[in-house]
Amino acid sequence: MNQPVIVVKNLTYKFGDFVALDNVSFAIEQGDMTAIIGPNGSGKTTLLKNIIGVCEPTVGSVKIFGKQPHQVIKSIGYVPQKFEFDRDIPITVYEFMALEKCGKSKHGCANIHRALQEVGLNNIEKNKLGELSGGQFQRVMIAKALLHEKEILIFDEPSTGIDIVGEQTIYDLIKKINRDRGTTCLIVSHELNVVNKYANKVICLNKKMICSGIPETVITPENLKQLYGIGAGLYHTH
Amino acid sequence: MLEALQYPFMMRALVSGIFVAVLLGWLGTFVVTRKMSLIGDGIAHASLAGIALALLLGWAPIPVATILSMFIAAFIYFLEKKTKISSDMAIALMFTTGMAVGIILLHFYQGYQPELVSYLFGNILTINTYDLWNIVVIGTIILFLLFIFYRKILFSTFDPVGAYLSGIKPWIYDLILYVSTAVAIVLSIKLIGIILVSALLVTPSAIAKLFSKSFKHFTVLAIVISIIIIFIGLMLSYSLDLPSGAVIVLTGTSLFLVGYLITFVIKKIKDII
Repeated sequence: MNQPVIVVKNLTYKFGDFVALDNVSFAIEQGDMTAIIGPNGSGKTTLLKNIIGVCEPTVGSVKIFGKQPHQVIKSIGYVPQKFEFDRDIPITVYEFMALEKCGKSKHGCANIHRALQEVGLNNIEKNKLGELSGGQFQRVMIAKALLHEKEILIFDEPSTGIDIVGEQTIYDLIKKINRDRGTTCLIVSHELNVVNKYANKVICLNKKMICSGIPETVITPENLKQLYGIGAGLYHTH
Repeated sequence: MLEALQYPFMMRALVSGIFVAVLLGWLGTFVVTRKMSLIGDGIAHASLAGIALALLLGWAPIPVATILSMFIAAFIYFLEKKTKISSDMAIALMFTTGMAVGIILLHFYQGYQPELVSYLFGNILTINTYDLWNIVVIGTIILFLLFIFYRKILFSTFDPVGAYLSGIKPWIYDLILYVSTAVAIVLSIKLIGIILVSALLVTPSAIAKLFSKSFKHFTVLAIVISIIIIFIGLMLSYSLDLPSGAVIVLTGTSLFLVGYLITFVIKKIKDII
């Protein structure tokens, strides 16, 4: 059995009096491809923010490699659900991707070009970030997370705004990185067929942990009804 | 018009003007990117409290206002990050509080205070050698900080979560930016005036944004435009015998209108072709 990379223990997070996460516990092991599913407002993004240390648990703890998230933060790549910025600001894709430096000489111009190619973007380095389509922008965010060979990659709904073919490419790419580099991946997704196809572990969240385990045993009509409140099944959003 | 350069006061005004133009032009690119254009106004107006206190006690107003502005900038940052108060609310709160304190302090000042009008509206005649050296020395320190921490300040400005994940502590670079902006604003007060100084923080970036293809291009262009605005503004102020601050601001506004018109025409031509 692999060593746990992320250990979430009795995590409760409150916004004032509002309970966003209630006593959530789970462990993610080295090389896992874990999907977090749950309805809107179920605390998925809040959970990710606690894992990367942007939010501090009200009760409980998050440990990554046995340490506090901020102590190992350079090991984590994160693609947020939303990235808000003034689209009129003239920053290029290359400038945006070059903001992070890791000291490795190979992580220069050629590496940025390669990372963009990996997500299906060619000759886009000089384009302004604000002029990209939603799908192109999301791919740039994923390319940025892939750039520095992080040990853990966290994706908050990575296929938002991407068409069906693009979505397949993105998930195939994440799976390839997970398989080839052994990178531990954590994905928030609404698409149960994607979860079934790519993840080896599922966490069902609706403020509390509803269920967790391998997709074949966890994604059952009973659990989905408990999670979403209605008769949900495998579906595709497109 | 160029004969004005033979006068020492004009040379002092020009040298100090170009220095603050570089400072405010560069800082303005970060301020505009953060959508916090009001910070210049807020700090300039709040610094009236420091100027009034110094005038009342017979101290040098600019150093007192500079120190106060650093605390104001840090306090605005604290309000933004540690409370539920938004950036514009925090700035407005400090803006009005500083003005109110300044007005009450000036109430206790006996007699007419002609120098106060210069602080409010800017006056190139009031830039003395002491002010010039203040601007050059403190301005050089700020430029050095911007040069050294450029990437980290931009990273914290544009993508704070990404900056945090790369091991940067964004609060350090945010504070450097806030405090540097506050100091640069106060250094410019004698030239442009409390009422109008924030225009030089925003207008060059607003013009540069129209023509820039990258952030590097944006930064260089904002600095160059800022210098042009100051130079033309000061020259016009001298030759028309009008208050320097107002002429500099109107020069910037005119350049912005011309710039906007040019981009509008170019867009129309491209649409036709």
